[in-house]
Amino acid sequence: MFCRKGMFLGAWVGFPANRAVFAVNRGLDAAFLKPVAMAYRDMTPQFFQDRINDALDNLRAPVILFNDVLQGELERAVATVIRFLINSSLGLLGLNDIATDMGIEGHDEDFGQTLAVWGIPEGPYVVLPLFGPSNPRDAIGMVVDFLIDPFNTWAGNTDRNYAVYSRSAARAVDLRATHLETLNELEKSSLDFYASIRSLYLQRRINEISNGDPSANWPAPGIGQGPYRETKLKTQEAFRTQ
Amino acid sequence: MLDHNRTQAALKGLVFIFVLILPLGLAPPSVAAETQEMAGSFIRSLADQAIKSLTQKDTPRDVKIKRFRTLFNDSFAVRSIGRFVLGRSWRKASKEEQTEYLKLFEDLMVVSYVDRFSRYAGDVLVITRTRAENPRNTTVFTKVKTSSTGKPAKVLWRVGSRGKIMKIVDVIVEGVSMSQTLRSEFSSIVRQKGGKVSGLIEELRKKTKSLKASGQ
Repeated sequence: MFCRKGMFLGAWVGFPANRAVFAVNRGLDAAFLKPVAMAYRDMTPQFFQDRINDALDNLRAPVILFNDVLQGELERAVATVIRFLINSSLGLLGLNDIATDMGIEGHDEDFGQTLAVWGIPEGPYVVLPLFGPSNPRDAIGMVVDFLIDPFNTWAGNTDRNYAVYSRSAARAVDLRATHLETLNELEKSSLDFYASIRSLYLQRRINEISNGDPSANWPAPGIGQGPYRETKLKTQEAFRTQ
Repeated sequence: MLDHNRTQAALKGLVFIFVLILPLGLAPPSVAAETQEMAGSFIRSLADQAIKSLTQKDTPRDVKIKRFRTLFNDSFAVRSIGRFVLGRSWRKASKEEQTEYLKLFEDLMVVSYVDRFSRYAGDVLVITRTRAENPRNTTVFTKVKTSSTGKPAKVLWRVGSRGKIMKIVDVIVEGVSMSQTLRSEFSSIVRQKGGKVSGLIEELRKKTKSLKASGQ
């Protein structure tokens, strides 16, 4: 399903409104999210940024566990449980990811990935207002993850909707701050920023679905075709002069 | 007599198997292991070289660009990557367009990657493992601990080899391949320009010019 054909297919098909929504999102980002993320990065000591990041990660544990189990990844499910228990207690309510220091590294999962593992196709690439790059499969995944998250249930039952909003806002700022430099550079050097982001999203999702195990069949340029001769000669010279 | 001939034929067959088939089964692992090791040390020495030539703070940017251009041409399969990135349009382009495109492509890579590369090079690069993809391609898995964020980034280097010559054919950062991203981007531009490579060349010229001028 994630052969190179599927990947390119996803890249070619897309809603005509995508570029327009992308432009609106970009405007909103430049006006609100990016400045906040920059201020957060520059004015908050790295130590506190790390603590907030760890706490936000820890809060995701129930959703990750749910999806680990649905994907039949029992080893990862156990790791998620152990991590959550250690970090919530010894790690002081998740503020310190000491499980990683103990050698139990974290991972992320979501229902969009679970659907992918179950063999459901991703559908066309869609840029959602506010949420950004997605596709029908991932959009459904996002809704399911929201509904099964005990944090949201708890907040809803106890009239604490503000908790849901603050957590989402914190996650958005935290995520944006981590990618500030990378996205700035990409934006600067891109000839078509929309196309770059689309490709980035598709590749990232494939990587996440395969749990970071890159395929050996990944299409890549090979050396040894026509233009190779010249470079070969040059390097041989370089080898000789070394 | 007939039997004797048969035995001989069978023996010949056996010899044939030993001489031709077995080496095929036995030799590659050791060759692959050697190639893997070479690919690993190739990336290691590239990182060391980059640290030496690109990370001093007082080096002016244009000197850095010059050094990076040499480094880039020496260690990346620039023309093969450029060709791959252009995809199907490569064949549609005229000889002149191909030459100009490759020149601009090299330019774009150099000016847009010099900062990123110097930043990565200054950080700690640890090779976690190497994997032979096929006789000519090896993936070198590395973890790069960037100074800005706490978590190390997974950076994969696809190294193509021919005998003793090694060249990087792709860099994959956290699952995102440089060649793949450029390929989608370029094909999108070509499509917008009505399938003309000349349109992409025009855009490349504009972009490299502005990137050179902006010079951080």
